[in-house]
Amino acid sequence: MKKKTNTLLILALIVGLAFHGSAIFFTLESTYDALIHLFFADHYADSWFDPWEYRWYTGFTVQSYPPLVHQVIGILSYIGGLKFGMYTVALLAIVLFITGVYRYTLLMTGSRRIAGYGAVLAVFSSTFVETLHIFGQLPSITALSILLHSMTEIYLWIKTGKIRYFLTSVTMLAVTVTSHHVTPIFGMVFFIAPLIGMAVMDASRERVNSYKELTFKIFWNTTLKHFWRIAKFGGTSLFLIVFCIFPYWYNSKRNPITQVAIPHGSRDNFLEITSSGLVFFVIPWGIFLFVLPYFFYRYFSKRYIFFGLSFALLTILGTGGTTPIPLMMLGETAFNILTLDRFTLWATIMALPIFAEFAYRMVEGDLKVLVQEKFGEVYHRVIGGLIAGGMLFMVLFTMTLGYFRPSQPAKINMLPIVNFLGADSHDSWRYLPLGFGDQMAWLSAQTTAMTVDGNYHSARRLPELTTRAIERIENSKFRGVEGIGSLQQFLTVPEKYNLKYIFSNDKFYDPILYYCGWQRLQQLENGIMVWEKLNVPPIPQIIPKEDVPTIMKIMWGIIPLTTVLLAFIINIQLIWVRLLKSKKLEPPSFMKLELPYNKFSYKLLIFSHFWAFIVLICLGYGIYLFYVKNVAQLSANNVVEAYYDALDFKEFNRAHSYLDPDSNIDIAQYMLEVSVTDGILSSYAKMDSLHVEIYDETPTSAKAKVHTRWITPLENLYSSDYHELVKRKSKWYIKPSKFDNDIPPDQLFTANGTTFYNHGRRKITTQETYHEDVLKQPVLEILSAKLVKNRGQFSIIGEIQNVDNVPADVVIKATLYNDANKELANYNAKYHMKHKLMPKETTVFKINFEGIAWSSTKDTLPPTFDPDQFTPMNFEDQPTNFNLQSAGNVANTDLYKGVALQDMEYTDQGFNGVLFNAGVQEVTIPQLIISYYNKENELLWVDHSFVPEGVRIQRKQFFNYKPLELDSLEVIRSDLKNCFVNGMPNASIAEKVFPNRNYSHGASQTQPFSGVGFEFIKFEINSYIGNPK
Amino acid sequence: MHKTIYIILCFIMLGCSSKKEEPKKSAQINAIALTKKDRYTAGDAITMAFKTEAPIENFKLHIKNAYGTLLVAPEMVHGEMVFSFPTNFSRKSGLCRWKLINEGQTLLKGEIEIHPNEQKGTNMATYFGPRSITAGDIDYSMLVIAPTDVFDNPVARGTEVTVKSQFLASINEYKVATTELMAWYNVRSTHKSGRILVTAACNATPSKELTTIVFPSNSTSFKITAFQDHDYADGNQILKLRSDIIKDEFGNTVSDGTLVTFIIKNDKDAYLYTVGTTINGIVEGRTLHPSQAAHWNIQAFITGASESNSIDVTFRTAIEDYKVYFSKGNRNIDIGPLESFMKQLVPDGILVQMDVFSEHGDFIETKKTTTKKGVCNFYLSPEYLENGTYKLVIRAAGITKEFKKEMNGI
Repeated sequence: MKKKTNTLLILALIVGLAFHGSAIFFTLESTYDALIHLFFADHYADSWFDPWEYRWYTGFTVQSYPPLVHQVIGILSYIGGLKFGMYTVALLAIVLFITGVYRYTLLMTGSRRIAGYGAVLAVFSSTFVETLHIFGQLPSITALSILLHSMTEIYLWIKTGKIRYFLTSVTMLAVTVTSHHVTPIFGMVFFIAPLIGMAVMDASRERVNSYKELTFKIFWNTTLKHFWRIAKFGGTSLFLIVFCIFPYWYNSKRNPITQVAIPHGSRDNFLEITSSGLVFFVIPWGIFLFVLPYFFYRYFSKRYIFFGLSFALLTILGTGGTTPIPLMMLGETAFNILTLDRFTLWATIMALPIFAEFAYRMVEGDLKVLVQEKFGEVYHRVIGGLIAGGMLFMVLFTMTLGYFRPSQPAKINMLPIVNFLGADSHDSWRYLPLGFGDQMAWLSAQTTAMTVDGNYHSARRLPELTTRAIERIENSKFRGVEGIGSLQQFLTVPEKYNLKYIFSNDKFYDPILYYCGWQRLQQLENGIMVWEKLNVPPIPQIIPKEDVPTIMKIMWGIIPLTTVLLAFIINIQLIWVRLLKSKKLEPPSFMKLELPYNKFSYKLLIFSHFWAFIVLICLGYGIYLFYVKNVAQLSANNVVEAYYDALDFKEFNRAHSYLDPDSNIDIAQYMLEVSVTDGILSSYAKMDSLHVEIYDETPTSAKAKVHTRWITPLENLYSSDYHELVKRKSKWYIKPSKFDNDIPPDQLFTANGTTFYNHGRRKITTQETYHEDVLKQPVLEILSAKLVKNRGQFSIIGEIQNVDNVPADVVIKATLYNDANKELANYNAKYHMKHKLMPKETTVFKINFEGIAWSSTKDTLPPTFDPDQFTPMNFEDQPTNFNLQSAGNVANTDLYKGVALQDMEYTDQGFNGVLFNAGVQEVTIPQLIISYYNKENELLWVDHSFVPEGVRIQRKQFFNYKPLELDSLEVIRSDLKNCFVNGMPNASIAEKVFPNRNYSHGASQTQPFSGVGFEFIKFEINSYIGNPK
Repeated sequence: MHKTIYIILCFIMLGCSSKKEEPKKSAQINAIALTKKDRYTAGDAITMAFKTEAPIENFKLHIKNAYGTLLVAPEMVHGEMVFSFPTNFSRKSGLCRWKLINEGQTLLKGEIEIHPNEQKGTNMATYFGPRSITAGDIDYSMLVIAPTDVFDNPVARGTEVTVKSQFLASINEYKVATTELMAWYNVRSTHKSGRILVTAACNATPSKELTTIVFPSNSTSFKITAFQDHDYADGNQILKLRSDIIKDEFGNTVSDGTLVTFIIKNDKDAYLYTVGTTINGIVEGRTLHPSQAAHWNIQAFITGASESNSIDVTFRTAIEDYKVYFSKGNRNIDIGPLESFMKQLVPDGILVQMDVFSEHGDFIETKKTTTKKGVCNFYLSPEYLENGTYKLVIRAAGITKEFKKEMNGI
């Protein structure tokens, strides 16, 4: 018989390459993982043998991820750049996957026709589309595809024992191992073990006449007969898994993953968190959901029984937290480390041959006959059309998911950032991107500059990161309190990691940058704002590195590509022969096992219909729930939720549509009113939780009490609002609330002010800046400094003045010592001070000693996060002494002082005050810094409060502040002996610059107020301007 | 047995005897230095010639100066050994020691003195700092001059350097001498603020221009005045507080940007404040008129340095009275119209507060609103406030009105 080329396979390859090959150019770069692999590839392209990568996490080893795919991209990058390499590998992966599924289906069914169907279905498999186009898991796809290829060889080795097949199977397995470590390990369990079982089963079948005669005894005997082949293969694969990526295991042993597990959607309860259910269950399964009974029916036949067990297991494990079974089976640790979507991926891949068989039977086999016979020809066509249509719909839906619901920020043009980092030795410091999404990896790949962040969370090294469930600081706002807390630590003590530049692609982070003492440097052409921090030393010339033995480097550099070469050399002959049909090959034994497919079980058909009906009902119910939950004006609760959702996403048109139409606020008026409210809540807050309490509900009206929790870059804000709701024409509406009618006094007014400009480098030169371009550091004077203990927490408080004639940016660092002068801790002033001081301006400050949360292993992660949780440092000893280092640098931005305290009175609710903005800049977030004094007018404590709403020009803003009770405050030490300014003792400055200081001025500016533990209080104002004009 | 002992003894004796290390015998070689010159100027070619009987291969000249040590191989010229010094030795001023060495033995040694080459010209490195000082008698900037010859050797000790400094109309000239490497001069601060330019010259080579800024010293007391368009407490006018020109003790106007805090003490003893920064010595602070009659006592401070006189500003009441109307079962409260000092409607935005207390005087809540077109309105809906008797305290423009009303109906 002359073998013909399988036209379906060729068709699948052509369509697959055309479809996926062209789509990847629009999807791959906005996937979660692809750019990370690109970064790793860049590492190999740059230094093939040295596994240490300095650019992320202050250095990590790339031996923490199998290297093959990265190395291949790296090599290809020499031809046409990194992205060329990535796309080439992606195209290869597509081809490998389609052919892999073809061979796997061929092996399973023994029919070239069905295998052809398998190849075509592989192209349109929604799980593949998702893995490639949404997740971008290139190594995983490559490894899985090669694993599929190797299955035929493994089967034949077990079956025939020919050494040739042993070689082909182990070489391919080696390639799998070097591309992805998890795939072969779990692949052994879920794919190869059932495969071996099936091979043995086939061998047993050959010894008897029918499956009926095949008893366990026969099977057991056959197993024993094949034992050595299995053992040889098993032993070799174990050896390969260990040996081929030995440096990986070595590294895992040396740097065990001790970090806090990052929540992953695949572990959610899919019924509760429907978005996770969609992404990790509905999309990968897709149309397969309707055919599930058939899969189980077929897989639980005698030949496939082992696959059946594996398939069932995978299906259950893939359900994540929906059922408690995965947690029970995997145990707490494994459950929290593994991403369970992988199991679904494997289950769906495993189902492909059976689905191909189903499709074959449906299109041209016995199922078609049966359906036509029972339900008629039209029904068959309709069902066929529905299945094909459903499949196509899932593919299109998955493919466009990233387009309609972008998971990544818009594509950023990296060139201006790369140029910025390359210019003027900016890469002598570390940088931090904010709001870049996974594109940060692409930025890192293009520059030699280093960042404290990184995008491969298993390799996180800094304690600030590993102790919290945050994958990156870059997107910390999505990680709530933990994320923001971690970010704040980096921003407060940036010199710890020589962090000087921040590229902000998200306005959200601006306030915290400002209040931590950062300043805007410039806006790049691509709209990215560069922030810088003064007084940060550059990265030292020599930075630590964890070296590994040379043998590891050589193994890591040579083995992966060698496995590919070996596999290529050994397999090429066979491939060649198969492809060109140059030589007549003995058809492999499994080809004889093709089933006749002449009688589709009618019962199964009926059950399948029944099942499909249930699935449809579930689906329908899900859609209905979605509708009820999301149709904004269906209930009082919905309209409030929708209104807040619209406000959260700044969709004011939508928000306005929920307002009572009878209240006569037209959209223009509403937009005006909304646009003039600025402040942390309206501009920088992300709603974290919303709780609506509906009460007094009548058929046409209701009241809602809305508790919201907002995550802002500074603090968590709680807000409770009351709304009145009305129902008009079966739709619920919100009654608009009142707006402030205040009008400013002047239409046009003038304001004069001093502005400052620093040239930086006056000469255009590539040399280090000449000393005459370096400005003198402004002189500061520390007026008081104390170590106090309040509510069990140690703080340094004090007051500092800029005694120079130029504005100063102030950095204060405090170090605590015990009686034996042993250093206990050090930290910088965060936002309990004004960082920018005009000449002769004073500010009080407070330094809290913040520990790294849950840093000791015995602390367990609290189950829910207390938003205001502050992690005080644990002191091994009682701090009794301190050292204060302050440094001034010339500042020329953020010097706005236009806010006045216009009125204040004390009531039972605390201080009710009025801020008035007398200047010409709109203050987005005003901050009050409140200092407490004893009756001798000596500083006792410093507190702060952010006013949630901004102060517009020539307008007032009310604030309320409840004074603290300082009943447990204890001043441990108060002296200026160990206080230094720009490295000089404070006393010498006081003597020289301010010899005749008038100390009564401090007292004249404090408000007498008898509170618990204090006698005087003072309010200072620090203003953050969101859009400086 | 004896035999064995003999053999062992022999071995022991052989083992114990050692060959004595004898000094390598070498004939005493005589070398004569032919070059007698031991003073050079930097940049001169320096060669040393020696004569010796022995073959010259093994001779080396070991030279050592401040830069380091070198072994120089000889050249044979007319039967003499000639050693040429490389330029990094011949150009470096100071002592240069040499030794003639043959197979580890020093045959001759001596030293050469190299003088800086001041004829070819002088280079100068100058440093001046700090870049800014404070007017008065204490502060100074230091000018440091390091004159060198063309080969970067410091000029001879005691070389004269001329320092010139310019301030306003005067240019002064001083002469200082280098000691060791450099000369230095302290430019004292002046009483007047401004810019001091300095330069230096050595061996007729001028330096670049260097500068320090003399900033004014700490301010002295100053006067403030209040400016307002009218003195009514309407909550809608800007009060401007302006100082005279603030000067330091030497009569210099304080630096632009100096922060001045105006502390406002009102008649309720609350400390309000506004700040301003100076331009040409004058500072202006602004704040808003209060919305009720008030008496403000204002004083300005430049913290630690100086303070102003204290002034009093009195605001007359703009709103004499207002009316309150109750309707809808006393649940709807209309306040106004609020009229200002000329019986005009008040500008929009006057804050009106209403505290709600229970019949027995327990505080329930505060409601706030602002006027529009002179009026405002509160509605206490029954969902929030059950029917019953309540005490309502309405405050606007400093006028408090108290009502006890029974709420009923919708």
